[in-house]
Amino acid sequence: MNSQAGVHCIVVTPERTELDVHCEAIKLPMFDGELGILPGRAPMVGRLGYGLMKLKASSGDQSWFVDGGFVQVTRDGVYVLTNRLLKPDQIDRQGAEEDLRKATEMVAKTPEARALKERALEQARGKLRITG
Amino acid sequence: MANIRQLDKRRKSVRNIRKITRTMELIATARFKKAMDRAAAATDYTKRITQIVQDLASSGASVSHPLLVAHESVKAVDILVLTANRGLCGGYNGSVVRVAAQRRNEIQQQADAGQTSVSGKRGIAAMRFAGVPIEKTYTQFDDQPSFDEVAKIADDLIYRYISGQVDRVDVAYTKFISSSKQTPVVETLLPFAGLDVSAPATESTDASASKVRDDYEFLPDASAILQEVVPASFRARLFKCFLDAAVSEQIARMVAMKSATENAGDIIKSLSRTYNRARQSKITQEIMEIIGGVEALG
Repeated sequence: MNSQAGVHCIVVTPERTELDVHCEAIKLPMFDGELGILPGRAPMVGRLGYGLMKLKASSGDQSWFVDGGFVQVTRDGVYVLTNRLLKPDQIDRQGAEEDLRKATEMVAKTPEARALKERALEQARGKLRITG
Repeated sequence: MANIRQLDKRRKSVRNIRKITRTMELIATARFKKAMDRAAAATDYTKRITQIVQDLASSGASVSHPLLVAHESVKAVDILVLTANRGLCGGYNGSVVRVAAQRRNEIQQQADAGQTSVSGKRGIAAMRFAGVPIEKTYTQFDDQPSFDEVAKIADDLIYRYISGQVDRVDVAYTKFISSSKQTPVVETLLPFAGLDVSAPATESTDASASKVRDDYEFLPDASAILQEVVPASFRARLFKCFLDAAVSEQIARMVAMKSATENAGDIIKSLSRTYNRARQSKITQEIMEIIGGVEALG
């Protein structure tokens, strides 16, 4: 990848390729915090969390809500695999609060159920953080 | 000779039917194109997932996950049948139900438990008629199944498999092979075998850039990523089944409606011929009667 050309960012969901843009820098919500990606970053595979993905481009900045998934940085681009890509204004606070309430009420008796619950909790909190 | 008015009436009604089937064919064609585009768009995700798994495997991480491990004894087998909500699509629903019923009989010989879930009103009706107890029914999937809905079913199956409630999961659906060939199949989805962990070296010979092996950095680490990749891959796989079924349904309907339209055309032709013949013979008969009358007067 030519480092002068910026970062080629491709966002793929199971339904379709949502985004295919060139930008100067990307900020991604990882499982443990934010991660910035500049042109020429070393190859990486990482787990995403729930939060805002920010794209910095000369034409203007963009931000999207990323619903978990993975990111793969290769020499030809940054591939973001997520279940859903939403505009931040598509998330409403009430819905997020409702999700959080439901997630908190989930009964987790087995380790698998606990993992599911934690996932739901994290997802709801990620949404709340954006609307807050 | 048949009644002329009756013939005309029949011809009119067949014409109306032809109009309807023709419209349905056009609608199915439009929907098929949309469904096809969706199915094509969904392959990007699967490709990327496969790429990640291959990179994980080539970096030396051991690929192991509860979903990949076959249970020792198969006692409970779930079967998920994907059919359409609507009929008028030829043998589409019937053939899926047939293969599903066949597999279910096989399952019953070796396993004593398991759930049968059916998607699509047609399949639900057929299975009920056959006296099969159905655990869960889904009717929300039409020509554009949404991933969120499919993911819910997938998560449920994952949970059942990992917690040991079920030892194998089969899916009966119509596989899309090409736009001229779709076959009803039953595939085993769990234990999951959809991960291609073969060394990626064999396929990366074409691009010179990819000959250089990338040393990936894994965040948090390879095994943690694998824990997430396998379920994601399974969800995408199940979603692919739903997409295939949706595309095949539209093709089946298109073909069925096309032949129905053609058949209606043939019927109209033969009806018109009989109608014209009947009309002509009636005219001839009337002329004969008039001539007969004139002769009798003269």
